[in-house]
Order: sequence, then structure tokens, then C-alpha cells
Amino acid sequence: MSDEADRLISAALRDHARVAAPPALRAKLERRYLGKRRAWLAPMVSGVVGAVLAAAIVLLVVRPAPHQLDVAEEAVGDHQRVLESRGLGVISTDQHTVKPWFAGKLDFMPQVAFLGDDEFPLEGGDVAVFLGHKAAAFVYGRRLHAITLFVFEASDVPTAERTIRGFHVMTWQAGELGFALVSDVNWGDLRALRQRL
Amino acid sequence: MANVPGNEFARRPLSSATHVARFSLLGRRAPLAVVGEPRAPTFAERALEHLDELYGLARHLCGNTGDAEDLVQDTYARALAGRFEDGTNLRAWLFRILRNCFIDRARRRNIVLEIPDDQIDAYVPDASAIDQLRYLTAADIMGAIAALPIEFRFVVYLDVEGFTEAEMADILRCPPGTVKSRLSRAKAKLRAALKEAL
Repeated sequence: MSDEADRLISAALRDHARVAAPPALRAKLERRYLGKRRAWLAPMVSGVVGAVLAAAIVLLVVRPAPHQLDVAEEAVGDHQRVLESRGLGVISTDQHTVKPWFAGKLDFMPQVAFLGDDEFPLEGGDVAVFLGHKAAAFVYGRRLHAITLFVFEASDVPTAERTIRGFHVMTWQAGELGFALVSDVNWGDLRALRQRL
Repeated sequence: MANVPGNEFARRPLSSATHVARFSLLGRRAPLAVVGEPRAPTFAERALEHLDELYGLARHLCGNTGDAEDLVQDTYARALAGRFEDGTNLRAWLFRILRNCFIDRARRRNIVLEIPDDQIDAYVPDASAIDQLRYLTAADIMGAIAALPIEFRFVVYLDVEGFTEAEMADILRCPPGTVKSRLSRAKAKLRAALKEAL
């Protein structure tokens, strides 16, 4: 049993323990040691600028950035864990129950104004580990489905919508906090909740 | 650029062992430069190929991105100003420098490096717990590694990166038997930490 557990843990370590260096760090080291110039120093020829802009648009719009992948993937994994494995740390009895429960459990106050209504009742909350840091998880109901909102400290969460393994994920940044909304409800419902937040 | 540590490596002559072999067969001398063929990477370029691996370890050791970035920058500054012995293991050499840089920083900040002499949970997962291990997330793994003593984080990450016990012993400056023992204890700790997480 222990061998099988070690094998599974080793596989999970290989999958998840590696952390890619931030692009800004790579760029800084390449400038310092390889003499690569900053992009803005390149000749400002209109054709070149156009090509760079087109490439940037393709990269930003068509191909998701690595960080976006991380946030969305993490949101789906944690959404499943919050719902299926551990249950909720606090169950909502009225709209004043959940938010105060996080006081003292996090290093920040989750800025969430919407605390449920008839269409999206707030079922409860929990503290989750999101991208290696503590995060607030708010769980809303939608008919027989659940929607999890993760609120975490971050600086560059992209505004994006993705579908991963059947779960829809919306991510965005507001101030010093990152947000990820994830569920198996349809996009219309998810966007309706996003509008309320 | 002339004062940048390590920049002298960018001016190293191109290594063209392949060309030497090819032209020797034809009875010619190796060319000084071959136009149109890919040049050999400079030492700095070869070193920077290991950036992600080094950053990964730094991230687990430091627990936050800011300190991890500083540690990696210190590592490259020291490595590219230092003297690498050609023919030895560049990757292991870089990891050893990162470890030395981390130890220097840890001493300044009074971070405990010693492995606590505590009892390690001899927990053996049952079938249902093993099934849960199939669904470990990145957060589970990050949390479990963060719960390990520093020296255990080294061996766990070096193992993930595929270093042999002999290479790990060289990086960590300890006997191979110590590496084996630490790895075994670290895995037991991980099992226990993941039991709590699941």
C-alpha cells in the first residue's frame, strides 16, 4: 500500500511540483547576461510594429497565457475539492454569516458584496489553498448546481473565460485581489452571477 | 555591458567539436567559423536553460515569488561570475550554487535549516485513501511541500528533477546514504501531510 501511495505521490509531484519562472524574471536575466534588448528599444519601423502588435493580439486573444492556465486549472481542481472532499467550513444561515467567518482566517478581507439572492443563494464558504496561498471560497447555489467563487491575493490575473473538463471558469482582477468563478452551470448563469458580484 | 559579471562568457570561442570531427575526416583543418550553421550556445545561454528548474526549487524553499526571484538572481550572479569546470555537470553545479545562496540568505534571516528530530508518522494509506491520491491538485502538492522541513524540500525537489542519489549527495554535500534516508523520511512526511489535506 505504501509503495502504491509513494508511486502516486511521486507522479503528482512530477505533475505539480515544477513551477515555471515568471516571464519578467526570464526577461531580466536575458537582458543582463545575454544582452537582449528591451522590446521598446527595437527600431520603430511601422511594419515591425504592426507585426509585433498582431503577434501580441494572437498571443493574448487566441492563445491563453500560462498564468491564465494556472488560475483556471487551479479553480476547477479546487472547486471539485471544496464541494466533494471537505465540505464547507461555514454554512450560510443568513447573509451575515459567511463573510465575517473569514475574519482572522485570511491575510486579507475578501471584497465580495453579493451575498446571495433567490436565484443564486449563498450556501456557505471555506478557506482554500489556491496557487499555494490561502484564498476565500464562496459557494453559491444555482438550482441543483454549485458555483464557487475564489478570492485570492494576486497581481496579474487575466480577464478571461475558459472551459476545462466541462467546467466553465471566469477569471479577473480587481485591485489587489484575483477572482475565479467556476461551475458546471451554463455560461448564461455564470455570467449572470458575475454581474451581481 | 563590459562590467556585467559573467559577460566574458559571451565572448568565449565557439565550441565546434562537431565541425572538427567532420573536417578531420576530410583531412582538413576545422574552420574558425562556419557561416550559416547554428553556433554553439554560450555559457550564459546554457546556464539560463535551467532557469525554470532552479526557480521551481527556489519557489518551494522561499514560499513566495519575490524571495524566490531574488534567490535565482543571486544564483545566476554567482554562477556567471564564477568558474565552471568544463566537462562536469552544469545542472548540478547550478543547483549547488542555489543551495549555497539559499543557506547564506537563511543564516541572515535566522531560518531553521536543521531537520527536526521528531517522530515521523508511520501512516500507511488504506485503499480509499490511495484512491484519493489519484486526484491530488497542484495546491495539495504545494501545501504538502511547504509543510516539509527545508532540507526535505531539497531532496524531494531534486528527486522530482531526476537527479540520482549520487548527484543529490554532491549538490547537498552529504553522503549518498544520508540522501537516501532523507528522501525516505521526506516521503513519509509527505504521505502524512497529504493525509491531512485530503
